[in-house]
Amino acid sequence: MSAPAPQSERSTQFYLPDFCRARAVLAIVVICELTAIVLALARNEAVLGFWSDLARTSMFLLWVGLAGAGTLCALRGYLNRQSLAKGSALVLAITAVLVTLISTIAHSLGRRTWLMDGALAPDDQWTFLVRNLGITLVVTALALRYFYVTHEWRHNVELQAKARVHALQARIRPHFLFNSMNTIASLTRTNPARAEEAVQDLADLFRANLSEKRQQITIAEEIDVARTYQRMEQLRLGDRLHVEWKVDALPSGALVPGLTLQPLLENAIYHGIEPRRDGGVVKVSGELNKGMITIVVRNPVPPANLTVREGNRLALANIRERLDLMYGERATVKAGRFDEEYIVTLRFPYATAEPAAPRT
Amino acid sequence: MSLRAIIVDDEPPARERLRSMLAESGDCEVAGEASNGAEALDLVERLEPDIVLLDVRMPGIDGLEVARHLSLKDEPPAVIFTTAFDEYALEAFDSAAVAYLLKPIRAEKLRAALAKAARLTRPQLQQVANAARETARRSHIGSRGRDGLKLIPVEEVFFFQADQKYTTVKHEHGEDLIEDSLKSLEEEFAATFVRIHRNTLVNTKYLERITRDASGQHFVHLRGSSQPLEVSRRMAGDLKDRFRI
Repeated sequence: MSAPAPQSERSTQFYLPDFCRARAVLAIVVICELTAIVLALARNEAVLGFWSDLARTSMFLLWVGLAGAGTLCALRGYLNRQSLAKGSALVLAITAVLVTLISTIAHSLGRRTWLMDGALAPDDQWTFLVRNLGITLVVTALALRYFYVTHEWRHNVELQAKARVHALQARIRPHFLFNSMNTIASLTRTNPARAEEAVQDLADLFRANLSEKRQQITIAEEIDVARTYQRMEQLRLGDRLHVEWKVDALPSGALVPGLTLQPLLENAIYHGIEPRRDGGVVKVSGELNKGMITIVVRNPVPPANLTVREGNRLALANIRERLDLMYGERATVKAGRFDEEYIVTLRFPYATAEPAAPRT
Repeated sequence: MSLRAIIVDDEPPARERLRSMLAESGDCEVAGEASNGAEALDLVERLEPDIVLLDVRMPGIDGLEVARHLSLKDEPPAVIFTTAFDEYALEAFDSAAVAYLLKPIRAEKLRAALAKAARLTRPQLQQVANAARETARRSHIGSRGRDGLKLIPVEEVFFFQADQKYTTVKHEHGEDLIEDSLKSLEEEFAATFVRIHRNTLVNTKYLERITRDASGQHFVHLRGSSQPLEVSRRMAGDLKDRFRI
């Protein structure tokens, strides 16, 4: 994602959490209660005693807090369109209005003798109002600051994760690119028709690699990309490369993050086939079982004395990350050596494009 | 005089392209082609080419190691590396070979490299070979016998033992004579081999135990080899400490 993006995102999405949701309301309640405790502790009320004072203060603050949450929930659409400063000022103004209203009501209620002998509102009305305004505005300002910092932090984490995913996605191995170019240069002399196909395949692969819209594609599309990749490598490696496909059992409409299978095939060839003088067989299989899709890629392990080539863990971590973003904890990626094979297993829920996004 | 070259690359299209480019350049005859390092070394033994066009990344014995083996020849051929992309090792390629070419190779670059190879004198080629010797730790040791070059995987070597002129290498499949000095072997394989005596270098992988006879002489016993090896007095304590045997 390029630099200006965060800015535009920030102006369309105000930093406050969505107060229509229980989580944010809970945060408000907690803030109110903590403030009430601080006030009650500080006041050390002689007549009412600590607990009654706390109850009284809590009730008042919860009125303000919940009324505030309700108002912010209702005004959310409008607030989201405001700038940072204007939005914050509006929230403070709304709080001030609510505090004034509720203080007035509370004061008139508190003076009624049927409510604990009028002990609930000992101040005169104006002192009571000014004190309440002061306290709530300071606390609201602190809370706003808290929400702002949290939002900024989360935003940054998200951006970093996105940036990393994109950087990894865009990374076709340079070796592959230049070797492919060399293959094409050779084919232009000996077999122009093949060369033309190879150029088209390479273009398709790069399109798949560079596309921004490939968060979710169907498994059929992904298999297509992987097969295109295989065709390129086949030109280069000839008889040394065999790929055994057993993917007919996979539902072709199942959704996967883009570039899930192709990097696995790339790894299998790079680590398992290329370092072997006589090549070998990569096996790709897939099945659907009880609503879960399993894809397995196996390759022979490279000769023992060979230093392990880099980049394997990076690609796996990237696939794991993206499956996780899409399916959460229900998706698993396992990789390891079993006897003479290196096996990578992906498992994730079967979801199609028909119902909306499978992620909640 | 026409130059004789061999092409070494594990990818058929890459070989094909080089072959036709060399044919077009006119001043170079392709004497043979190899698809991996071992084949390449064998081919060089048999054909004695002037130039070896050598892909760096190959399965098994890679290009750098081939260059290293070639550098030990009395009259090393001119090595020209070819590579698709190796950001980290270009400097090594530069010093260990007459030239290096990036794939897809340009005709004019190829011509320039061939011209340079043809221009170099024996001492200059020897100098490049000396640099190549520094670059890579070999995975195989070459033993030149009656039927050409035999490659012994270093990991299968039990020990090297020097006598007057030659070095004997004892390995899982027998023993052979090699021309490398014990000193150069010790430097090259310092990570996996240890000197136990003035004339013996053993693979630490096979170390089993140390015994002492009545006269106080220590011997090393290696797994898979029945022959006990003499340990010099100076090395014995050191060896025991280091390997707890």
